[in-house]
Amino acid sequence: MAEPLTPVEQTTRSMAARVVTVFVMVIYVLGLFLYRRFNPNFPVVYTAIEEHFKYGSIGSEAANGIPYWIWRVLPDMFPDKLPGNGYASFGFVFEPGHEVPIGLARRRVIIDRLGMNCAICHTGTVRDTPDSPPRIYLGMPANTFDLQSYLRFLMACAMDGRFTADNVVRAIKARKRLDPLETLVYQQAVYQTREVLLQRNLQTAFMNSRPDWGPGRVDTFNPYKTVQFNFPMDNDHTVGATDLPSIWNQKPRQGMQLHWDGNCDSLEERDKSAALGAGVTPVTIDLKSLQRIEDWLLDGLQAPKYPYAIDESVAAQGAPIYKAHCASCHDFGSPYVGKVTPIAEIGTDRGRLDSYTYPFASNMNLLYAGYPWRFTHFRKTDGYANMPLDGIWLRAPYLHNGSVPTLRDLLEAPAARPRTFYRGYDVYDRKKAGFVSDVASEKGKKYFLYDTSLPGNGNGGHLYGTDLSPAEKDALVEYMKKL
Amino acid sequence: MNQFSYFRSRRFRRLLVVSLICIVLLGVFVWYKLFRTVITVYADPVEHFKYGSIGVEVPAGIPYWIWVVLPRVFADKLPGAGGYVALGVSWEMGKEMPIGFTKEIVGIPRVGVNCAGCHTTSVRADPNAAPQFYLGGPTSRFRPQDYVRFLFACAHDDRFTSANLMKAILAIYDMPFVDRVLYRYLIIPATKSAILKSEKVDYYWMASRPDWGPGRTDMNPFQRQVMRLPDDHTIGSTDVMAIWNERAHAGMLHHSDGLNTTLTESSRAAALAAGATKSSIDIPAIDRVEAWLLDLPAPKYAFTIDQALAAKGQPIFAARCATCHAFGGARTGTVIPLAEIGTDPHRNKHWPQSSADAFNHWADGYPWAFHHFRSSDGYVALPLDGIWLRAPYLHNGSVPNMRELLSPPEQRSKVFYRGYDVYDQANMGFLSYGPQAELEGFRFDTSITGNSSQGHLYGTELAAADKQALIEYLKTL
Repeated sequence: MAEPLTPVEQTTRSMAARVVTVFVMVIYVLGLFLYRRFNPNFPVVYTAIEEHFKYGSIGSEAANGIPYWIWRVLPDMFPDKLPGNGYASFGFVFEPGHEVPIGLARRRVIIDRLGMNCAICHTGTVRDTPDSPPRIYLGMPANTFDLQSYLRFLMACAMDGRFTADNVVRAIKARKRLDPLETLVYQQAVYQTREVLLQRNLQTAFMNSRPDWGPGRVDTFNPYKTVQFNFPMDNDHTVGATDLPSIWNQKPRQGMQLHWDGNCDSLEERDKSAALGAGVTPVTIDLKSLQRIEDWLLDGLQAPKYPYAIDESVAAQGAPIYKAHCASCHDFGSPYVGKVTPIAEIGTDRGRLDSYTYPFASNMNLLYAGYPWRFTHFRKTDGYANMPLDGIWLRAPYLHNGSVPTLRDLLEAPAARPRTFYRGYDVYDRKKAGFVSDVASEKGKKYFLYDTSLPGNGNGGHLYGTDLSPAEKDALVEYMKKL
Repeated sequence: MNQFSYFRSRRFRRLLVVSLICIVLLGVFVWYKLFRTVITVYADPVEHFKYGSIGVEVPAGIPYWIWVVLPRVFADKLPGAGGYVALGVSWEMGKEMPIGFTKEIVGIPRVGVNCAGCHTTSVRADPNAAPQFYLGGPTSRFRPQDYVRFLFACAHDDRFTSANLMKAILAIYDMPFVDRVLYRYLIIPATKSAILKSEKVDYYWMASRPDWGPGRTDMNPFQRQVMRLPDDHTIGSTDVMAIWNERAHAGMLHHSDGLNTTLTESSRAAALAAGATKSSIDIPAIDRVEAWLLDLPAPKYAFTIDQALAAKGQPIFAARCATCHAFGGARTGTVIPLAEIGTDPHRNKHWPQSSADAFNHWADGYPWAFHHFRSSDGYVALPLDGIWLRAPYLHNGSVPNMRELLSPPEQRSKVFYRGYDVYDQANMGFLSYGPQAELEGFRFDTSITGNSSQGHLYGTELAAADKQALIEYLKTL
């Protein structure tokens, strides 16, 4: 049994206890404050699914995000590296009242970061006339957005000697008050951001020896080879740039061979693969968020109706032509839809097909290794997949590489299709069904000249319907507006 | 008070019990995380052949997550793009492991190799096509030597640190905390030193032998790594063999020099050379695979055969080849003496009677001990089932295609490229020249010791048309 304490000892002990208590409480409060202030993982949540699709995070911020305030001041610091005025000059879709374009999501990972989500490549705009306001269509190919130029801008900023912690923090302070703690955090964030961007710059250096993608296009699998697997590209000269696809109405696509070359027949794996492209990692991916989007794409989002007048009598003449010449490969439920047509038969540019190689497909078997959703559905194919044509009016330019500007042009023999045209312009061409493709610039904005003679850009092949009469072709186009 | 009273007190006893429980728990933990062995038994023998264990993982398994990230961290140490595919593995779509690679739990998941790595071949109809895989065929692309050399090179590199590898692993896998600690502080350092030790102890002889290249191996592991016989500086370079249709091969000699009379002992010895040990070798698994190989058919020629031309070649085969190479031929499956066959002698000289004697006693006391090893004075004349897939030809794979084998030795290629699996239908073999073959392939130089393409003069004096007909007929075998 211990000796009873003297009164002095008792007082000392209770004093000590009180000091400890206060200390613990201070630490607790401070911790709580810091946690709320610098939450390690806290996405902005949107209740409406459309808002979630446009601005919600799929988990790309932690590993490949840019701190919001650094992103905000880059155009201030490096206006010379922009193709025009601000981020809008990359063809991003901005909604009124939003500082951030559709397709960039915000999540707090210590500080607010922006990462890409699905909408960045799968939301586009249409204008009725050059003076009309753009109408936004969710799920359509991002016809105006130049992903490659945007990524190149970010990397060029990081490469620039002016991209220092001090300069960036000074630029942020010109827009926003930073307390000393935040200043410290942002300084570190500059180093970290630069490191990631410099690494991406090395990994995507091979892009410089290939034709530019231009707006509405992406080389899906070549950057994937270097970013995910660190493949050397010295002996890989493939050109894989393709048109972005629409992503609405997924349910009837279940079980089809997805991607242009039909290399994957699982919607879930196709989506998790695209998410990697947007910057998630198997560790940071936000599966619940992605699932929300997938559920909506499966049932909710339908192909938009053609908004202009359709000449129903001409369309009615086109219906049997479509049935005879197109339906067996392109209608839901038809025998060949969602299956691969061999390259020798389809005859379109083989760049994208050859960019997806057996060694790469093999390595994809280890993506998401350690998780039950490890990839098991990717394979090397020998051609291009026949896609259903729902909402085809919005999916111009046509063919997998977006080498033919309009539906009407696609019905011409390859030699009669435009050799060069402009992409990125969103005024609709109601006569030919596609976007107006002869506008080089408008109000100071330059559009992208697409040259079909460059590697990967060929506009040959897919001769179906090219031998119809002009009147029949017109009728067919009129009918296809209804799909 | 007795001075030992504390040790009799209830408090001490309680302490003792708690300590014992802790030690037992710690023991269970260590066993569970480092030694617990769970080997998958695939119901289908085909799957077991491709992905099942033969007993390599316990002594030589590479921890799975290290295996996954090595090609990404050390991409510069591979001969090209493609991760392990750059080393020629055959990887079926959707499968976690390439054919010939196993993933089994020895404490943690570990990666081993099995028979199928060397005994599965791939063929492409054209350079952009996906390869077709043929089980039991001698691999056209896989480079077993470069696989172990890749591991050595990684382990030698300063970047092979726990920090670097953990960074790469955690970037793709949210590893549980306990495993992180184990990997960081135990498994990664232990793997590095185990690989370096294996290089010194098991493969020290390799640097002084000619490079194997794709589709070839060296018989030295039987004597150096398995039996630990002192280095006799002999060269055992040899082409990997087809292992299909074994029932029809019953009674014939095995290995290119006929060093064993039984399939069973040859299979088990091969498993040992692949890395299994006396205590780890999985005899039932190997027996299952062996039983399946008995009736695995040789694959039919994958392209078109000119049947009329083949019919013309049939009597030529019967007259010139059948005695040694047709099933039922008088000399088929027997050894043709070196003096008669005239091919490169090194592989034969590599296996003296003393080694056979040593191997016949090496596993004494084990139920599967060896008794049928022998030495010979030449090379076995093999039946030609599936011969179209067995290029390059001769025991050392020194002749790229059948057309060259039917040419006099001085007209055969001095240098060609192995390991490019696009098929050469005109010459019956794999494409062995051209920019892409040079890029993907291995430069095979017949002037290097053990690589000679001399000998086997049969048919070299035939008329061109007869050779053409004979080649067409051989495609039907």
